Amino acid sequence: MAISEPGAEVAEPFAVELKRAGLGATGLRGGIGHFVRRHPLGAAGTIIMGVFVLGALLADLITIYDPLQTDSALSLAPPNAAHWMGADFMGRDIYSRIVYGARISLAVGIGSTLLGCIFGAAIGLSSGYLGGWVDLIAQRVIDILQALPLLVLALVMAAALGPSLRNTIIAIAIPLIPSVARVIRSNTLALRELPFVEAARAIGMSEFRIAVRHVLPNTLAPVIVLATAQLGAAILTEASLSFLGLGIPEPYPSWGRMLSESAAEYVRTAPWLVIFPGAAISLTVFGTNLLGDALRDILDPRQRS
Amino acid sequence: MASYLTRRLMLMAVTLFGISVIIFFLLRVVPGNIVDILFDSAGMVNPAEKVKIERELGLDKSIPVQYLAWIGGIAQGDLGYSYVSEKPAIDEIAPRIPVTAKLAAMALIFSIALGIPLGVISAVKQNSGADYALRVLSLAGLSMPAFWLGLLILMVFVARFGTIPIYTEPAKNLWDELLLYSVPAIAVGFRSSALIMRLTRSSMLEVLRQDYIRTARAKGASAQAVNYDHALRNALLPVVTIVGIEAAFLIGGLIVTETVFNIPGVARFLVEAIRTRDYPIVQNLVMFIAIVVVAVNFLVDLTYAALDPRIKYAE
Amino acid sequence: MNEWRSRARVALALVGAVIAAPVQAEEPKHGGVLRIYHRDSPASASILEESTFSTNIPFMSVYNNLVLYDQHKPQNSIDTIVPELAESWSLSDDKTTLTFKLRSGVKWHDGKPFTAADVECTFDLLMGKSKDKLRKNPRETWYNNVTDVTTNGGNEATFHLKRPQPSFIALLASGYSPIYPCHVSARDMRVKPIGTGPFKFVEFKQNESIKLARNPDYWKKGLPHLDGIEFTIIPNRSTAILAFIAGKFDMTFPTEVTIPLLKDIKSQAPDAICQVHPINVSTNLIVNRDVAPFDNADLRLAMAYALDRKSFIDILAEGQGDIGASMLPPPEGVWGMPPDLLAKLPGYGPDVKANRAKAREIMEKLGYGPQKRLPLKVSTRNIATYRDPAVILIDQLKDIYIDAELEPVETSVWHAKASRKDYIIGLNLTGNAVDDPDQNFYENYACGSERNFTGYCNKELDALFDKQSQETDVEARKKLVWDIEKKLVEDVARPIIMHPRQATCWRPNVKNYTVTVNSSYNNYRFEDIWLDK
Repeated sequence: MAISEPGAEVAEPFAVELKRAGLGATGLRGGIGHFVRRHPLGAAGTIIMGVFVLGALLADLITIYDPLQTDSALSLAPPNAAHWMGADFMGRDIYSRIVYGARISLAVGIGSTLLGCIFGAAIGLSSGYLGGWVDLIAQRVIDILQALPLLVLALVMAAALGPSLRNTIIAIAIPLIPSVARVIRSNTLALRELPFVEAARAIGMSEFRIAVRHVLPNTLAPVIVLATAQLGAAILTEASLSFLGLGIPEPYPSWGRMLSESAAEYVRTAPWLVIFPGAAISLTVFGTNLLGDALRDILDPRQRS
Repeated sequence: MASYLTRRLMLMAVTLFGISVIIFFLLRVVPGNIVDILFDSAGMVNPAEKVKIERELGLDKSIPVQYLAWIGGIAQGDLGYSYVSEKPAIDEIAPRIPVTAKLAAMALIFSIALGIPLGVISAVKQNSGADYALRVLSLAGLSMPAFWLGLLILMVFVARFGTIPIYTEPAKNLWDELLLYSVPAIAVGFRSSALIMRLTRSSMLEVLRQDYIRTARAKGASAQAVNYDHALRNALLPVVTIVGIEAAFLIGGLIVTETVFNIPGVARFLVEAIRTRDYPIVQNLVMFIAIVVVAVNFLVDLTYAALDPRIKYAE
Repeated sequence: MNEWRSRARVALALVGAVIAAPVQAEEPKHGGVLRIYHRDSPASASILEESTFSTNIPFMSVYNNLVLYDQHKPQNSIDTIVPELAESWSLSDDKTTLTFKLRSGVKWHDGKPFTAADVECTFDLLMGKSKDKLRKNPRETWYNNVTDVTTNGGNEATFHLKRPQPSFIALLASGYSPIYPCHVSARDMRVKPIGTGPFKFVEFKQNESIKLARNPDYWKKGLPHLDGIEFTIIPNRSTAILAFIAGKFDMTFPTEVTIPLLKDIKSQAPDAICQVHPINVSTNLIVNRDVAPFDNADLRLAMAYALDRKSFIDILAEGQGDIGASMLPPPEGVWGMPPDLLAKLPGYGPDVKANRAKAREIMEKLGYGPQKRLPLKVSTRNIATYRDPAVILIDQLKDIYIDAELEPVETSVWHAKASRKDYIIGLNLTGNAVDDPDQNFYENYACGSERNFTGYCNKELDALFDKQSQETDVEARKKLVWDIEKKLVEDVARPIIMHPRQATCWRPNVKNYTVTVNSSYNNYRFEDIWLDK
């Protein structure tokens, strides 16, 4: 079937893609070795993300201190044997807060990116492929979302809904929708005119099937690039919201909150307050991007030569 | 072409109408209004006085009536009065616009000037040492919170030069102005430049694999001609899109950067106005930003169409 | 106990040092613009309508009072009140008529002459008697005891009191009591204030800057020394401090430097002169005693016993704060309870473990325990200075079987929420403009006061408030005040967590500024400050 259809060269099944990348049925061990050799940065990204996800899942097991426990004796304690990363000005253990904070960053990052991509893809694909009044309406929705600046929307939403994890995820996801939708739409527009789609139409494939089988897979590469960048950007946006006093409320140990206003005041007297959460954010975002780049290389067939 | 333009302009009007409705109603759904804020700053409330002020400000009328009053005012060039300063909203907004516009323009120029060339180098020299170094660097750029970068810059300045590049008074000449805005512009534009670099690189690579590039190569076009004439022009397509999107994203970076560098622009003013529920300021400012973003995107679409002959104007 | 004593001694030594500091012997220089950063954008320029020193600090020097606290005596008290627009004052024999003889030849900034009519207008405005109304009138309660203000010719104004109130004049001496002109509307005073003070209002750009210029016709000849004062509004504290370190400002926003930031200034700008002082703004809890669970007096008491005040001070201010009841503790505070009396109050004993055990005992009696914990919400403003103590409170309450959760509330919503009592416990900051029991008790604890958020109402205490207010003998009055304080604590009316200290810093070229140690609202006339450039 794949051979008889025009455009198969572009729209290969995922299994084939993964196999080529060395992640398929050739044996797990061999596959990993292949992946590491071909995509060293990607492998590094995978390890970073693995540590991050494991840390978030196993937070209870790998920390001793309660991340919310205050202690005046430990206020602004520098890193030491008992508290590897020191303590903040309320005497809370920074290492524990970072480990628990991974949960929140993971939830914010993945939650908002997924939410944004799903809605963005749905809008972009239907808009670009179907055209007509669907496009018209979808485009208006996109235009409206896009012309409202991200933080402004998030600020108003946070004010309306009150600061919480769920509201932060929604507030960060909404501005993602138009960028994903636009990229998918513009790709779809270009693809729609390509010969293989016209050919598929000529042999009588349904529009829905063409869209899902031929057009969507071909828009995946840019969306993955965008989504991985956005995964990191979502974590960064949460930090910005916290900096402005919104985002995830105290006392939950979100990395963004740890870097916020009051921590910034101690930046010279107690730099560990800012260095460690900052490093955690940067490293995680770095990891998502490395992984995203590798995935992109694997998933975009036109890049292989 | 003319009919396309007319259609686009009409659609833009529809978008702006949608935004005006959303922002107007969203603001009024938000709990608390200016009277609460006023009383809060006084630490007391007298319910009778509260009702009186609400009546004075027209906040006791129904929301649709308030909406019509606002739109009607705009039609007559009257943006209303700031609830906080009690001055005409236009007098509060207008002087702050050039400040932010300059900062945004410099940030955008910086990010394009840095992002596109680096992206091209990275793509053309794919998998070389330079490519890896640039990719890692751009990722570092994307991984840093803008306000964090700004704070680091400030600290370095104070430690090394004993001075601080923040806004305390308006610049006296063009040179001062460039100097004043260049540092915050870098802090804002750094993220965008990394994004643009990555996008340039990936779309460059994508285009380099296209059939027509292969054809050009097969026909014996020089590597340079292929890279720059054919590939770059096509690769800029998604980059142009992202520049359009970044225009709106930039506002977010501007808000935190204006806060860190204490720049009295519209972005920070908007946040303050949201906090104080200064509706006339927020509504009009959001509409202004929306108009700018819509216009930028319109220009982006025109550029897009000019660059990609495959896109048709109308069907 | 010992520790308190030693801290009190250190504090006393500090005051002593300040008082003993030699008065500037140098000849003042004229000219120069004093640059200060401002922490936020004040709501308006009208001091009478606002209740934050965000308005007093930049605008107090536009006005004059009838009388004022001596700007160079660190501790405000009845004895440090000096004449300003009033040349002298006298009290009738029955102590209910206070007559001010006014200075002549004083002009408003727009050139019109100042007369007794302006005094009458100002207080009519404050008492709601005039046609023109203040949009907000936060200190109406200050004048509850005034029947009216009358004039006798252009140079005499008389306050008629319902009953004797010896400290009434203390309220008039506050930075909150400027005299407004009759001929300028309340609205204009918010936007473009006209005063008789040493500096004229030039402009106020929201979120950007406030500019004042020398009043060349100031009635005190040869003053002010400065050509002007400029406030640059920088809400971000770390940016503001960096700017001060970099030399962009001559002075920090008064009272706004926290202890950790102070360290930063001292290491980065060692020549800066910094003074740590109480700000007379207490961190306290508002407790909703109308609804469960805190309608139960025992539970309130358990909470009172659970507070580890020293720990709050150590964490939030590196030990730079004072434990006290609602009046600012001595030696800076005039009326606060002495430490030995204070330590006897519930929850104030130095043995935290014993206090907590007592708290748990009460909780267990009420049916709570490790298995049956009490869930509740602690509401506070979503601002670091409110949020941080709330986080510590939540942590401390864990020890007595209470699982509290923080509810951060937007500033815009906080007030409405607090006034409709939509909270269980709220963490609050209360500033006392004048270190005087009348101001504190009537505003925050009297039945029916608009600023009494908790609606706490105790007729017996109200009678005591009046009693202390009429007492002319200071020592006798102190005893009455301490008695009231004790009752307020035992009743868990509004548990006071701490009286924090903060710092004010200035460059060595700023001369002749004196920090007030028991108020953050009264010492910003700035008329005789000068710059040694």
